[in-house]
Amino acid sequence: MPKKIDGSKITILSSEQYEAVKKCLGELYSKTKANAVLFADIAGQLIGERGDTSHINTTVLAALAAADFSATAEMAKLVGEEARFKLLFHEGEKNNVYLTNVGDEYFLIIIFQSNVALGMVRVYTKKAVEALDKIIKEGGSSKTVTDIIDDDFGELLANELDSSFKE
Amino acid sequence: MYINWALQQINLKIVYYGPGVSGKTTNLLYIHSKVAPELKGELVSLQTQEDRTIFFDFLQLEVGKIKGKKPKFNLYTVPGQVYYAYSRKVILNGVDGVVFVADSQFDRLEANLETLNDLENNLKQDGHKMDEFPWVIQYNKRDLPNVAPIPYLQLKLNKYNVPYFEAVANKGIGVFETLKAVINLVVANVRKKL
Ligand SMILES: Nc1nc2c(ncn2[C@@H]2O[C@H](COP(=O)(O)OP(=O)(O)OP(=O)(O)O)[C@@H](O)[C@H]2O)c(=O)[nH]1
Ligand SMILES: [Mg+2]
Repeated sequence: MPKKIDGSKITILSSEQYEAVKKCLGELYSKTKANAVLFADIAGQLIGERGDTSHINTTVLAALAAADFSATAEMAKLVGEEARFKLLFHEGEKNNVYLTNVGDEYFLIIIFQSNVALGMVRVYTKKAVEALDKIIKEGGSSKTVTDIIDDDFGELLANELDSSFKE
Repeated sequence: MYINWALQQINLKIVYYGPGVSGKTTNLLYIHSKVAPELKGELVSLQTQEDRTIFFDFLQLEVGKIKGKKPKFNLYTVPGQVYYAYSRKVILNGVDGVVFVADSQFDRLEANLETLNDLENNLKQDGHKMDEFPWVIQYNKRDLPNVAPIPYLQLKLNKYNVPYFEAVANKGIGVFETLKAVINLVVANVRKKL
């Protein structure tokens, strides 16, 4: 799915893919009894979320987790580890956060209470990772970037920036 | 760039890069202080007690809908201090556009050059080319007495002839101008390369 156009790497998630992602996150959420599950890309952009996220700033969480994940990958390289670390686990008093990669470009964040069995989280997460990887790789969008960034988009955006971002 | 077709969302990642204390975080602080509450998220700063960025700052901005489309801009700064090289590399993951915040003072020229070189190497490793990648230069701290003249800075730092802006970031001068330019450049670049 990622397509390279010189500067930007452009990822387009089709409506079908988005629905499939949401369904998969919903299943993971209910089966693991997690508080919340988030799916994001390595640039830190949140793709989907499920669960009770009303008191969590999920945008910021995705940005922090992506940086955390990328930093760990660099750490792996520094200590001579060939493969990147596949998961990260933050253990807290009340909550645990579990991070795992989905292919090279995406990752999952699972937030659950510390009394939830980690083994169960692991099992269902592994299944979700496989499913998400498939959705991302196979369900390629028929839409191209020009369908959304069309002829007058640049000009309209420039005007909108002018009116929104001023001293 | 990440596009969610179902939600008609367009996400861009812009990174403020540059040497230590050049004013990267100051740019984000100013933007955050001026943008209407409904268009901005929380400003997250991972910094030391001396206000030096240790990993990154993050701020998400939005503008109104454009023909039903919802653009979102994820702004990041990197830590400028030399020994945070790995953090800079990490934050560049998936970047769409860069603002290079240069410190205009004469005695910061070496630091500017070093960091620019570091940016070029990091982008190269991700398969980008400096002469095609959307980036702009902001010559900051123009209010200080010991600044180098613009033509001199241009000669030393802008060999790719990218758009440049003069700024006094703590007063907000040139801050929005720079941001708008890099966003417009990212969008123009997408269409140009088709
Ligand atoms: N005089 C003057 N001071 C400025 C200007 N822009 C920023 N500063 C000051 O410079 C200092 C450093 O600014 P920061 O924005 O924290 O620098 P930074 O680039 O984020 O530094 P690192 O996080 O270490 O990489 C602060 O005290 C700012 O108030 C400017 O245009 N003129
Ligand atoms: Mg800073």
